Amino acid sequence: MKRRAFVTAIGRYGGLAAGARLAGILPAIDDGGAASLLLPMDESQGDHLKAYGVTYRVVQAGIRAEWLLNYRGGSFLLPDGPAIRRDASLAGVRFEPVDDAQVSAARGEIEASNMDAVPLERAPKVAVYVPPNAPPWDDAVTMALQYAGIPFDTVWDFEVLGGKLARYDWLHLHHEDFTGQYSKFYLIYAGAPWLAEMVRFNADAAKRLGFETVPALKKAVARTIRDYVANGGFLFAMCTATETLDLALAAEQVDIAAAFADGTPMDPEADRKLDWSRALAFRGAHLEPNPQIASFSDIDGHQVNALARRQPLGAFKLFNFSAKIDPVPTILVQNHRQVITDFYGLTTSFLRERLKPADIVLGDEEGAPWVKYINGDHGKGTWTFYGGHDPEDQQHQIGDPPTDLSLHPHSPGYRLILNNVLFPAAKKRELKT
Amino acid sequence: MRPARSHRSRGQGLSRVGGLALLVLAARSLPAQAIGQGFELERGGQFAQAAAIYFATLRAEPTNLSALLGLERVLPGLGRLPELLPVAQRATSASPANGALRSVLLRTYVGLNEPDSARAVAQRWIAAAPRDEAPYREWAIALEDQRRHEAARAVLVDGRRALGRPEAFGIELAELAARSGEWEGAAREWAAALSGAPAQLPYAASELGEAPAPHRDRIARVLTAGDPPPLTRRLAGELLLNWGQPERAWAVYAPSLAAPSADAAVAARHFADLAAARTTPAARRVRALALARYAELATGPVAGRARAEAARALLEIGDRVAARGVLEAVARDSTAPADAQALAQTTLVAALIDGGQLGEAAQRLARETRLTEEDRATLRLRLARGWIAQGEVDRADATVAPDSSVEALALKGWIALYRGGLKEAEQLFRAAGPYAGDRRDATDRTETLALLERVAADSFAELGGALLALARGDSARAAAALRHAADHPLARASGRPDILLLAGRVGARLGPVEQQAALAVFAEVVRTDGSGAAAPAAELEWACLLERRLQPADAIQHLEHLILSYPGSAVVPEARRELDRAKGAIPKS
Repeated sequence: MKRRAFVTAIGRYGGLAAGARLAGILPAIDDGGAASLLLPMDESQGDHLKAYGVTYRVVQAGIRAEWLLNYRGGSFLLPDGPAIRRDASLAGVRFEPVDDAQVSAARGEIEASNMDAVPLERAPKVAVYVPPNAPPWDDAVTMALQYAGIPFDTVWDFEVLGGKLARYDWLHLHHEDFTGQYSKFYLIYAGAPWLAEMVRFNADAAKRLGFETVPALKKAVARTIRDYVANGGFLFAMCTATETLDLALAAEQVDIAAAFADGTPMDPEADRKLDWSRALAFRGAHLEPNPQIASFSDIDGHQVNALARRQPLGAFKLFNFSAKIDPVPTILVQNHRQVITDFYGLTTSFLRERLKPADIVLGDEEGAPWVKYINGDHGKGTWTFYGGHDPEDQQHQIGDPPTDLSLHPHSPGYRLILNNVLFPAAKKRELKT
Repeated sequence: MRPARSHRSRGQGLSRVGGLALLVLAARSLPAQAIGQGFELERGGQFAQAAAIYFATLRAEPTNLSALLGLERVLPGLGRLPELLPVAQRATSASPANGALRSVLLRTYVGLNEPDSARAVAQRWIAAAPRDEAPYREWAIALEDQRRHEAARAVLVDGRRALGRPEAFGIELAELAARSGEWEGAAREWAAALSGAPAQLPYAASELGEAPAPHRDRIARVLTAGDPPPLTRRLAGELLLNWGQPERAWAVYAPSLAAPSADAAVAARHFADLAAARTTPAARRVRALALARYAELATGPVAGRARAEAARALLEIGDRVAARGVLEAVARDSTAPADAQALAQTTLVAALIDGGQLGEAAQRLARETRLTEEDRATLRLRLARGWIAQGEVDRADATVAPDSSVEALALKGWIALYRGGLKEAEQLFRAAGPYAGDRRDATDRTETLALLERVAADSFAELGGALLALARGDSARAAAALRHAADHPLARASGRPDILLLAGRVGARLGPVEQQAALAVFAEVVRTDGSGAAAPAAELEWACLLERRLQPADAIQHLEHLILSYPGSAVVPEARRELDRAKGAIPKS
């Protein structure tokens, strides 16, 4: 039954193979009848990003898959079947039919090395926090999900405060400014239509949800998101959502917003009054008081919009964890490349000295005072923060054309995003950290 | 009094300048080995040990500036900045006239957030040297290092007032304003500063060029208000050019070149070079205008070359009248160097060809003696292509007849093809090889060779005529002629799917009627070509046309069929991309 359902699911996603007109000339796909299909994730893979989508759809159809951590770049092992082969072929995902003996040999290698096999049992329900009027191609995660063919819902303040996050296993935040200061573009981009629209949307939402100001609304949203993690949710944040989420949490009792956002200037003692015990990842940060500089604090190491403090981009390196002892960070760093070119965002990186001691650094720039990719637990859940805006657009500017991921099917930076998407599918009892 | 400045990169602000200047001073008085050990330890990251060496040095020599600066570098990282204060105080007391030592003390107080003490040190220094900019500058640098932009700005503004020099600290204030996001203020300061420091124009353009997009128009308004002086105009022009407004840039910039001078000539050339980095039509146009102005301003042997270059740029933007005027000036100029004359003549003949005046171009080409052989050969090829575009295949043939270069062989191949000589064309294309002409020429030849290999006939006038119509840009006639040629017995014997595919490709880019015919053509090729290369290519074209006709579901069916049916086809990667696009998995481009 499950396999039949999967065929239907694939058909819905990809369209039928051929209509009645074409059915007569569609060649039969050779179903070699192997025991399993290996989706290698090393350099031989034809489309790394879509391989996640193929695997997701297999799991979504109720079919068990396995993630072979550190085995050929973090490969996937799927049961063989014509629908899966067809899906992979259409996606350009390279697969290798493997028989039981080959699978056994691979398991032997996994057992003897720093590798592990993690069952993937349930396709996570994915939500992306995004304003209703956001442009469709301005979020790396949305682009990755759409490219890989992984379904997702969008949620915003109404859904978050309406208690709907509980429906989802995975929540993504991108460049939302949870300090409620419109990414501090209010003065810089004064008069820009998109900014006026953003202000109107947020102000309207605050009013309808019973908050006096947008910063107050965003603080409430941030708290709800923190509770979602505490209750077992998986949170993945990029760009400025990482930094501002924690600032909003730490500033629960203090005004950190400029006058343009809430009618009153930032509390001059705000730095001192921040309560970092409420935050997820950071501590001891100093706020940027100038409302004209689109920077929030000294959490970000690169300060792309603070002219005098801006740091050049380098490359970050993924850490190598013990697959059998630390499967969570191992899952999150699965990649065919260890060193990845860095990319700017409103928040590009995180200063080491601002991290909480319990944070796990997944990727950093060697010798630099900042890290790029971090993870940690909160309550029953897990959060992961990834600095930067778009892994394939290093200098992303407002108004730049969207990234076309079909030109970057092997993007190691985007793979990190998709590791996070599939991570909640991993069988929980197997995860030791 | 201002330290020498050069065009600095970002992140090397006020503090670096001051710091470097002090280091240079310090280097002269290094007491040698002990301090050298300190430097080595510091370089190795052993800051605590380095600090011990520096303290030891200061015990022996309290005014040792190198040791003080070393402590200033290492103590903050160790969280021990307060320890710098007593040694800095002792050094200043021992040598009260030493400005570098005063600077260290000042920075230490600022770093320790003791503003009153810092102010007292600065005021003592100002009292001792009332005409000196250094106390204000060092104080401001210290504040800026602590990211206290407003306080730094206030110090400089006070200094400007106290010194009675309105132009003082202009660059520093401009930098501070930019860092605070006050871009209009920065523009005003830069405009004022440039009058006393014209060499800073590139730095000003670099700094203001970083302004976020929303500020740019306001900056331009500040710089162009009223009738600004030439340097301000040039700054505004450079900025506008870099911000993608070339015509507005030239309108602002050009008046600064009105008075002939060597400086104006250099500025005109500089603007042209900046514009050359952009490829938009407007940028090419202003580049041509700047080059034309440069040609007017240039003197001596470079003038002739400048005119020829300007003419070429004017031709590239389609301003043949202006180009011709410039070229004729070169032709009349007996003092112009021979290479400039040759360049002018080449450009003139090229202009005639591009303007369709092929007869006059041929005459000039025949009688002009100043052309180099290489230019003559290039122009012959261009002229032959011009004749082909007018359907004059025989004249084209006569034009390239004496030429045996690979480019000429390739062109002769096309001429043979248009006359229907398929075999001859194939031989000539092979003789020309894969590298003749530019990349597009080579690609066209390769595609045509693939077609000729499928059509086994030696001669095929109907196909040649159809391809000539295509070369002349008559796509509708070409599409019909290709479909007609595909019905010819020669095509039915071999090559029919490939000719139909070409007909479909041409028709697919035309109007609805031709598109409908193209759809039928693609369907026939997919149905009849079996495992040939034309079938997947036709199915891809079919799908793309359906997408353009807003039938994405049908397009998706074809793309999936293509990918699954012809997994080894060269068009599969492109089909996958189209599939992504049709499904909305990637943005429409």
